Amino acid sequence: MASAVTVQPERILKDLQQLWAQMAQAQADSGGVLRACAMTLVVAAEDTADAERVRQTVGVLMHNHPSRAVILRPRGDGGSGAELDARIFAECWKPFGKTQQICSEGIEITAGQSGFSEIAKFLVPLRVPDLPVVLWCRGTHVFTAALEPGSLEPLFPLADKIIFDSSRVPDADSALQFLRRLRGRGGRVADLHWTRLTGWREVLAHLFDDRAMQPNEVKTAQVTFGGPSVSTCARYFAAWIRSALPAARVTLAPGDGAPGLRSMTLLTASDKLTIALGGDHCLEVSGAGRHYRSLLPSVSEEALMHEELGILGPDPVYDRVLTA
Amino acid sequence: MTEIRNPFADPLRFERRVPECAIVIFGAAGDLAKRKLLPALYRLAYDRRLPASFAIIGNSRTPMTDDDYRERMREAVKQFSEDGAFDEELWKRFAANLHYVAGDVKDAQLYLALKEKVNETQQKNVLFYLSTQPSYYTVIVDGIGHSHLAAAPEGAWRRLIVEKPFGHDLGSAKELNARIHAVFREEDTYRIDHYLGKETVQNILALRFGNGIFEPLWNRRYVNHVQITAAESIGVEGRGGYYQEAGALRDMIQNHLLQVMATVAMEPSAVFEPDAVRDERAKLLRSIKIMRPEEVDSYAVAGQYKGFRQEPGVNPDAQTDTYAAGTFFVDNWRWAGVPFFIRTGKKLPRRVTDIAIQFNQAPLALFAAGDGGQQPRPNLLILRIQPEEGISLLFLSKEPGSGMRLRPVSMDFNYGTSFGERSPSAYETLLVDAMVGDPTLYTRQDMVEASWTVIQPILENWNNRRFDFPNYDPGTWGPGEADAMIAKLGRQWRNS
Repeated sequence: MASAVTVQPERILKDLQQLWAQMAQAQADSGGVLRACAMTLVVAAEDTADAERVRQTVGVLMHNHPSRAVILRPRGDGGSGAELDARIFAECWKPFGKTQQICSEGIEITAGQSGFSEIAKFLVPLRVPDLPVVLWCRGTHVFTAALEPGSLEPLFPLADKIIFDSSRVPDADSALQFLRRLRGRGGRVADLHWTRLTGWREVLAHLFDDRAMQPNEVKTAQVTFGGPSVSTCARYFAAWIRSALPAARVTLAPGDGAPGLRSMTLLTASDKLTIALGGDHCLEVSGAGRHYRSLLPSVSEEALMHEELGILGPDPVYDRVLTA
Repeated sequence: MTEIRNPFADPLRFERRVPECAIVIFGAAGDLAKRKLLPALYRLAYDRRLPASFAIIGNSRTPMTDDDYRERMREAVKQFSEDGAFDEELWKRFAANLHYVAGDVKDAQLYLALKEKVNETQQKNVLFYLSTQPSYYTVIVDGIGHSHLAAAPEGAWRRLIVEKPFGHDLGSAKELNARIHAVFREEDTYRIDHYLGKETVQNILALRFGNGIFEPLWNRRYVNHVQITAAESIGVEGRGGYYQEAGALRDMIQNHLLQVMATVAMEPSAVFEPDAVRDERAKLLRSIKIMRPEEVDSYAVAGQYKGFRQEPGVNPDAQTDTYAAGTFFVDNWRWAGVPFFIRTGKKLPRRVTDIAIQFNQAPLALFAAGDGGQQPRPNLLILRIQPEEGISLLFLSKEPGSGMRLRPVSMDFNYGTSFGERSPSAYETLLVDAMVGDPTLYTRQDMVEASWTVIQPILENWNNRRFDFPNYDPGTWGPGEADAMIAKLGRQWRNS
């Protein structure tokens, strides 16, 4: 359900109220409507096509993270005008076996380049009071253009957590510097390229749950990456191992294959343990008396965001790795 | 064994690995195994929570091959999986780890056969699950002990899960504990109370100790009384034989509901660690005032629904309580003088388990109530365990229009709405906890004995009298004496 509205925040909120009243009336005889909201999720789309994908992703995420979604959509003609347009929508679903519909609300704001610099002022009254605000900055532009006109930087102070994705950033060092700088200002940041490592990290952690090796016996660790240059995920993984095994020598080495993490090897005086990316989206574990395959979890955008939206407080492990 | 911290742990992102192990289930063809244990284990496999290498070894007297047992359990998992998630391919992989050893638990040969099967599976860690009739518990524990099945190799473990009831009175509970401890250490003994594994019961701790606003009100100064209700709309449903020996007091109050009461009323522990939390629960249970014999008639009520004696397997003269209610007081500074009313029964109007904390009224009634000048209703905080898990706060609000007329309104929080994710079943949670060695949600010997001590005077009174049963109609909220019990203290049951 959606309807176009003019762009004053008060008007948007009033129209949302009307939308809820209409929906409640329409569903009065069939179980009613429950408005669910646990946060404000602001998503800055890269372009018009991306905004369409965002709308679908947000629809999926709302089932587990009901929120007021605010989708910021750059104007399709690339115009630089200051004008803003907005439309509201509701995402509804009916849990299996229930008659009541659960709905979350959304606002889509379309802006030209100079309009984006004004958008922070608009967002202040559109936040749901007293609930966390998560800002999801899509694309790579944000890493390099923070201070350019139309950048998203003015939005950063509004958010309790800002989620980026450094996977397509060519220069891992500058991306990490950017994230460290934001973290240093006290903001809570997350990077979906770190989230993609959860499957790898879980396999390694479980090997130590099983005492495949004693942490203090590991002498060296080698992380191998594919692609022409080292990616942020390889840097993250190496930093994570370094922070967990401070006495071990951790190295990054280029390898064959597609960009990203390819393998990891731990060596003790007498043993060797390797985790390598295999076929069928599996990791192959070998050494230290083990030989098995472990299926990696989904790294769809929905799955990655689901994981990040589940952590709205401090994330000590990521913070430690980012600042290592 | 000293626990070494895993430097790669990240509990915000992934859970601890369930170690490779064999689970030996005694009573593996029984109802509990079919309805709860196997569906829970299958679901854990579905959620990738089980290790790559594990074994489930079932035992019962019925002669069966491994394949027969797999086929039976396949049907059970399909029928009883809560959300119908059944994947044929996954089942094939899961079932390859299912084994079966037929034999009588009184026969020493059975334990040798089990030992051989455990060795065959090459599992070093073994979790024994007693899912049989309670009268076999000590026989099985003795059998495990005599056959040295409980002896773990270096670095491995042997653990025992015991289903309730843990004895049928204080004396038998102590005896059972002593027999278990002859074979298993207390830290390897996991007494399961599936109520404590329910997400909503665990959330009582989150509500109380994760928020700042409730705990300051959580005491005798602000709380008028607490009602804990566990009502079932069904009868004994074919369990008449077992139930007539147990009764509602033993089956529900001694274990589940006193544990829930302990969770509601306990002091915060200094840290969220297994023994710290269990210490506080145990302290609370030990603080419950023990009824004097002459108080039992005033503070406890037994009931039996019309038609119970006609259920299959039930003695036509049975004195079994299918309804039990009690008034309990906690002798500590926080709760002195605050009554905790607990009731449970079968064939009540609806299935509901909840905890209602009723707060004291405002000291001065400034406003006329909207419903004909009656006293305004008190504030209620309701923790709903099942169904529709959630929390409601009832308070008064002004009715729209002129004048100042107040009406009770409800502010509701529903787990299903705010967290779209599926909650794991209590058995999934508790099985994983036992495998990883976390006993937080399991009851300890001292907790079991403390709760038996609380109900022992009621048991003795009820065992020595003859009730005029049946005394309530199916579909009602139990016998009138229960209403009189609570009315004596100036309160009334919430029967909505």
